[in-house]
Amino acid sequence: MGLVRYIGRRLLFVAPQLLGIIMVSFFLVKLIPGDPAVLMMGPNASQQALDELREKLGLTLPLPQQFLHYIVNVVHGDLGTSWQTTRPVLDDLMDRFPATLELVTLALLVALLIGIPLGIVAAGRSRGPIRKLADVYGLLAGAIPDFWLALVFIYIFYSTLHIAPAPLGRLDLEVVAPPIVTGSMLLDSLIAGDFDALWSSASHLMLPVMTLGLVNAGPILKMTQSTVERTLSSDFIRYAEMCGLPKRTVMRQAVRASLPSIITIVSVLYGFLIGGAVLVEIVFSWGGAGQYAVQGVLNADLNPVLGFVLFSAVFSLVVYLFVDLLYFVLDPRTRG
Amino acid sequence: MDQSAALDAAPVASAPASLAGGPPGGAARARSGPVGFFLAVLRARPMFAVGYIIVLLMIFAALLAPWLAPYNPVTAAPDDYLQPPNALHWLGTDATGMDILSRILYAPRVDLTIAILGTLISSAIGAPLGAIVGYYEGRSAWRRALSVLVMRAADVLQAFPVFVFAIALVAVFGQSLASIIAAIAFVNIPIYLRLMRSQVLSIRGMRYVEAAFVAGASDVAILRRHIIPNAIAPALAQLSVSVGWSVLLTSGLSFVGAGVVAPTPEWGSMIATGFQNVTTGQWWPSVFPGIALGIAVFGFALVGSSIEVLADPAQRRLVGVKHAAG
Repeated sequence: MGLVRYIGRRLLFVAPQLLGIIMVSFFLVKLIPGDPAVLMMGPNASQQALDELREKLGLTLPLPQQFLHYIVNVVHGDLGTSWQTTRPVLDDLMDRFPATLELVTLALLVALLIGIPLGIVAAGRSRGPIRKLADVYGLLAGAIPDFWLALVFIYIFYSTLHIAPAPLGRLDLEVVAPPIVTGSMLLDSLIAGDFDALWSSASHLMLPVMTLGLVNAGPILKMTQSTVERTLSSDFIRYAEMCGLPKRTVMRQAVRASLPSIITIVSVLYGFLIGGAVLVEIVFSWGGAGQYAVQGVLNADLNPVLGFVLFSAVFSLVVYLFVDLLYFVLDPRTRG
Repeated sequence: MDQSAALDAAPVASAPASLAGGPPGGAARARSGPVGFFLAVLRARPMFAVGYIIVLLMIFAALLAPWLAPYNPVTAAPDDYLQPPNALHWLGTDATGMDILSRILYAPRVDLTIAILGTLISSAIGAPLGAIVGYYEGRSAWRRALSVLVMRAADVLQAFPVFVFAIALVAVFGQSLASIIAAIAFVNIPIYLRLMRSQVLSIRGMRYVEAAFVAGASDVAILRRHIIPNAIAPALAQLSVSVGWSVLLTSGLSFVGAGVVAPTPEWGSMIATGFQNVTTGQWWPSVFPGIALGIAVFGFALVGSSIEVLADPAQRRLVGVKHAAG
């Protein structure tokens, strides 16, 4: 009952939020210098041809009207055309977004598997080797640039040891991609029962997932450790200890009470990584959505940028909505 | 069973500093002053000293680069391209023959300026805003509206893919130092906003805040004297993550060609220019700047954690006790 109202109230905000996101990004992108017509036709195009193209693209209309057109098109599922790929942006993104999502989701799982256990164990003790390890790891992971680590991994595992495949996309060239069902190469090859593709995609995923996972375990570890530590020194935990509850039970309560902060950092990381994985994507020629958008910005190709922003905005909003629901379940204080 | 009761007291600081009347180690502190206390913290956590040394060395390098660097950082020497580390070029040369050591020594000038300014601006805007929003959330009508508005605006901002947003900002304002700083400051704000808000939300219901309210303290006084000092530690710890993250973001921008322009010595753009060489086996043009970048960020992170200890009343008391005892 309360939950339904909570969700309803939350969803009410989503539409204006989306509108705000599209508006900000539309005008921001419009401010980027560079004339798409000139870029599309090349420097030798005649003035008349340029004018015609601008007319066709709607670039001669006043900005608010252009924005209105864009919104109407978006509502109809038309994100425009990229002049670089000459394909509809929606199709391009549908191809590329799953690649990014698969990479980022697996990396985040790796990061969680490293960060949370290490953080919890380290929070329980104030000295000793595990604590030292956690402290150093947290600082190191925050200090290492992911694209640099990717290069080092490529140098070690590809150039020197020849274990990893060349950093060129999601599959080996000679492997045929499985039919697309979920968009995740791993799942699709499993569904198709194609173990060559499964092995190939797994080996291509290994280095980028390892890179992003190792680097992003840092913030999760830090947040887990500091929150659990704080909780452990709070009154209710002291009370639980005083009552003689077993250590495991006390720890479980402390971890549960720390969950909201941990979930916050994870959700922020998830949203961030959709665009933040772009450097690793570039290093591994991943062909993901972030890479597509960055090329768009650098070449004044507006529609892909807007489309990507819209996609990842919707994604982040869904994640935050989900997080708010989790808060609702976990923290009774938000129900008031 | 008793979990909801437990959660009521959930993730909050232990005892309020504002009521404790100063740390028990106060006697020792009074004797040796703030410098002595600072040294005691360093003695308790030797890693912090490493952090301060690194940061000092970085500042040192930034200031004295012209005297320390053996070569001009932007002079290409096409004959000496891609030399591995040797006696003349300690860290080797890159594809255009520029000396890598010299470029690494010059790089903090650009990187530190961008990262520190960007972080300071974003926290100065985000943290107070977060405290106010957290304090007013769910209170009287217009204050609630204000906090909802700010949080939804933060949602909009955070829904943007940070990196693409930063590149777009730099593209709009033109590729200059100021626009990189602005972009970094802008994308960092929501982090401080959220951190501070969640802390304040859990602290504002504490007994000592209620006591202050009953005693007739104004909202501003309660926020400033009782809530912010107890809520600020995670935000200050975040500063450490942020400075590092900002250097990384800057170098990332340079990596895709939207940040610091090529011949200017900057760690990220150096890694980018060495990118092609790594796959063919010449690792030094990329690896050394990356290590320098990592060490710098590592140092700032350590200094950040030391600030966390110094700023958090509860932790300060812990160190203070040790200080008094030993």
